[in-house]
Amino acid sequence: MDTISKTDPIVEFENVAKLFGELRAVDNVSFEVNQSHIFGLLGPNGAGKTTSIRMLTHILAPDAGTIRLNGRQVGSETQRLLGYLPEERGLYKKMKVGEQLVYLCRLRGMTRKDAEKSIRYWLGRFSAEDWVGMEVSELSKGMQQKIQFVATVAHDPDCLIFDEPFSGLDPINSEMLKEVILELRNAGKTILFATHRMEQVEQLCDYIALFHKGKLILSGELSKIRASYGKNSIRMRFAGDNSFLEKLKNIRINNRSTHFAEFRLLDGADDQDILKESLKHVRVLSFEYIEPGLQEIFIDSVSQ
Amino acid sequence: MLNKQNLLLIIQREYLTRLKSKIFIVSTILAPIIMILLLVLPIMIQSMSGDRIRQYHVYDETGVVGHKLAESDSIYYQITGQTPGELREKLLLGSVEGYIVIPHEILDGMGIPAFYHDGSAGITVISRIRSDLQSAIQDIRLDRLEASEELRAVLADRFTVNNFTVSESGEETESSGLYALIGFVMGFIIYGAMIGYGAIIMRSVMEEKTSRIVEVIASAVRPLDLLMGKVIGVALLGLTQFGIWALAGSALMVSAAPVALMFSSGNGEAVEMAASFPVLGPMVWISFILFFLLGFLIYSSLFAAVGSAVDQESDSQQLQLPIIMLIIIPILFLFPVSDDPTSTLAISLSMVPFFAPILMPVRMAVISVPFWQFAVTILLMVLTFLLLIWLSSRIYRTGILMYGKKASLKELWRWVRQS
Repeated sequence: MDTISKTDPIVEFENVAKLFGELRAVDNVSFEVNQSHIFGLLGPNGAGKTTSIRMLTHILAPDAGTIRLNGRQVGSETQRLLGYLPEERGLYKKMKVGEQLVYLCRLRGMTRKDAEKSIRYWLGRFSAEDWVGMEVSELSKGMQQKIQFVATVAHDPDCLIFDEPFSGLDPINSEMLKEVILELRNAGKTILFATHRMEQVEQLCDYIALFHKGKLILSGELSKIRASYGKNSIRMRFAGDNSFLEKLKNIRINNRSTHFAEFRLLDGADDQDILKESLKHVRVLSFEYIEPGLQEIFIDSVSQ
Repeated sequence: MLNKQNLLLIIQREYLTRLKSKIFIVSTILAPIIMILLLVLPIMIQSMSGDRIRQYHVYDETGVVGHKLAESDSIYYQITGQTPGELREKLLLGSVEGYIVIPHEILDGMGIPAFYHDGSAGITVISRIRSDLQSAIQDIRLDRLEASEELRAVLADRFTVNNFTVSESGEETESSGLYALIGFVMGFIIYGAMIGYGAIIMRSVMEEKTSRIVEVIASAVRPLDLLMGKVIGVALLGLTQFGIWALAGSALMVSAAPVALMFSSGNGEAVEMAASFPVLGPMVWISFILFFLLGFLIYSSLFAAVGSAVDQESDSQQLQLPIIMLIIIPILFLFPVSDDPTSTLAISLSMVPFFAPILMPVRMAVISVPFWQFAVTILLMVLTFLLLIWLSSRIYRTGILMYGKKASLKELWRWVRQS
């Protein structure tokens, strides 16, 4: 396991466990997140990502282990250092956007004046200044998502947590969110992501932690992890009917579409044989070794 | 222990958003109007329907009682020479509404007058006829006996008993059944308030769950702060609403009192009753507000726990039931407690924190409750409230993250121990 120890970590999980009855939702998990990093908590649904986040936000208490934020054990005092966008999103429907945002900022210890200033900036950033006086129930879903995002960042927290941030977002809001996240990182904020859509965060994350059935199976710097796997996958582009892919033996396909496939050679397979076989069915446009995708790394780690 | 700044913010939000809500404004205005309508409408309907002119035929074998009746109201009572048989025919045909048969033995203290009608005579008509007959026959019999004025006065005399409660310190206070009535009214007001505002708390917690803002809130404030803020905010709202009603009510009383007196000038009874309306000491009012508040706080903590355990109002019924039972039990004991407020049963029941909000004000309205009982009860209630809100916040911690699952009481207890 690759541990990060360049500077003092912002977030530290030390042998953290959480049980729900018999279920070990989080099982002896340790990892660290450093400042200004974008850290991805990855894994399928039910792997323990959301439970870990809820312990970090002090909604749930761990049954064992310690969680620290900025060197302090997580508690109600550390809550205001965090901005949290939960997977289940919502706002007070009958409350005006402006009042609501000010309320949420002040709950995290901001003064009214500072809150209003920050909210004005962020609403402007999303061209949403005109919604201040509207009730949330009057806004469209896309508009509500923007307000929810402002509610997450407006109190200027050191550390931001996004649980499945892109689910339910339209492509425009999605792009905007990515932009803002990078902007926040450049401003020195630490960002934690949790998602099961690994390909979505591949371009964003610097560091990752892979969860499976409550356990942390892999963590570290994404580029290093990928490099350690070497270029063990093949990406092939082709023209023609892709049904021949089924007939190829001794490979595992990780990603495919009509004119494209990413796969790994299994024991005993020879790349030249695969290429020859493919040429019988389609025109091969490219055939190259690449570093594995997150999906591939995950599957590989789970099967070990 | 509590985060004061967050507590104040939550109280402020809960109070102001509800104060400005349409439901609050409408219910504040409509509730007294509906109450007044419920009181006034039946009287209005009665007086409207009572306006119809009725006429009953009197078949009088004595030859004097009928005249006496007709003297009192010649339209209502019509002496007739027709026989009961003929009158019966006419009644069947519908040309006669009703008739009275007065037997001749009545003046000797025997026989019973009979009243036949087509079914249109209600209790008011029957009781009027009975009382008219009674005074007519009594007068005639007294005349026959050549009774003196004094004797008549003695017979007509009605008297009351003045009740005085003598307290331990020797003070005398005039007491009347009205005190018990006031106690009842206070008990019912507190009962209604606990159920009504309790439901507001429950919905307030549930609303955060259904709108899914709850995780954002829970990541910013502690459950205890949140629940405490909600409960206090809604308590202030309740006080505001009752304050508005009390102010409007007393303004109405002050402005309406002269008018009412003018109308009732012919009616000595009403004036007398208004004059004998008991004056309550400030202690009773203060304790009423105190028990109102504490009762509200205790029950809202319970309702808050229910709200956090469910995400649909229909699922809440099962969990609400035990709470509603706790509120109803003291209502069942209202009468025995006000009837014998110093009995062991009354004292012990009124000191149970869950029953005190209803039973203690009732006892305080009727008698002067010893200070130690008052003080101990208040202390017990405060402790109960603190314990319950703490328990609720533990249920809340787990409950808010549970969706689409009906929790049982057993499960709630597990959440308390777990979190």
